[in-house]
Amino acid sequence: MDIEAQSTNHITDEELAILQEIMNIAFGQSASDLAEVIDTHVLLAVPFIKVMKVTELPGYIKEQVKEYKQISIVEQKFWGKFKGDALLVFSSGSGKALINLLQSDDRRGMEAGPIDILERETLMEVGNILIGACVGKLAELLRDVVTYTPPLVMVEKEYEEAISSGYYDHEKTAIVLKTDFRFESGNVSGFLFLVTSNESIKWLRDALQRFIEQYE
Amino acid sequence: MIKSILIVDDSPIARKMLKSCLPKDRGYEFYEAGDGKEGCEKYTQIRPDITFMDLTMPVMTGYEAIEEIVKNDKNALIIVVTADVQMKAIKRVLDLGAYMVLKKPLKREEIQSVLLKAQDTLQKTG
Repeated sequence: MDIEAQSTNHITDEELAILQEIMNIAFGQSASDLAEVIDTHVLLAVPFIKVMKVTELPGYIKEQVKEYKQISIVEQKFWGKFKGDALLVFSSGSGKALINLLQSDDRRGMEAGPIDILERETLMEVGNILIGACVGKLAELLRDVVTYTPPLVMVEKEYEEAISSGYYDHEKTAIVLKTDFRFESGNVSGFLFLVTSNESIKWLRDALQRFIEQYE
Repeated sequence: MIKSILIVDDSPIARKMLKSCLPKDRGYEFYEAGDGKEGCEKYTQIRPDITFMDLTMPVMTGYEAIEEIVKNDKNALIIVVTADVQMKAIKRVLDLGAYMVLKKPLKREEIQSVLLKAQDTLQKTG
């Protein structure tokens, strides 16, 4: 990569701060959308942004979720001018807790069906809402439109089984946007990671500047 | 008259966005704080006419800061500016004594109308 390209791909601290605030707005929107479906309050933490080599990513995610015995993951790829991977990582037991939150009096009848399928579908639905609303709002604020792959779900896996070191293209740089959340009722918590590669960085930098110019 | 405005938000970008939406020709004195605890301390020192308060912040959340400020000043005029617009979050801050809740990202027109309303309230409460 030549010097000019390196410079173009270097995201500044101010741009990261703008992205962090946009992520804050976007995840707030997705929590609000989910709270309309599930009668609970989603407690949000301050989002965190880190630029790293993709090779460091599996280790970084593992460090974040190390307190979880097992994890469930909902993954969706998204692409527009802003493109990447959304990984929603739930703590162990979250799937079943979400089933309890989503269902009302007819819960027993539904549990008579295969619980693993119900758990997978519940995680997929909740993941779809959280990821779709968050990435959608983020793209809207940056004046982009993204499309998504259907969600992939992995239920109650060991970390090593869920995320391998060969998961991402090792040539790339990742911007990791992380936010953690906890449901006020039900034992549900987790992290949302948005991973975008350096292919998006030039567009992203321009989009962030356009966004903040509205407030100059 | 609104003279002093305190902005409490951990994001310097969010503080900048908010300030840019406020009228430039009114001679407001601006004060800023980066978390709820600093917000409470600055509130005690300054006693601003209006406080804009984020909710999701490190050290001390906006919820805790509102509770602390209102405990010591029942007339505090706190406008919550947040990305967290869940109904339960809105109800909780209004119960704690916040004046109103605005959703991020802010719009200039919205801020102007809120300032007029706040001005009116300040005049009534003396």
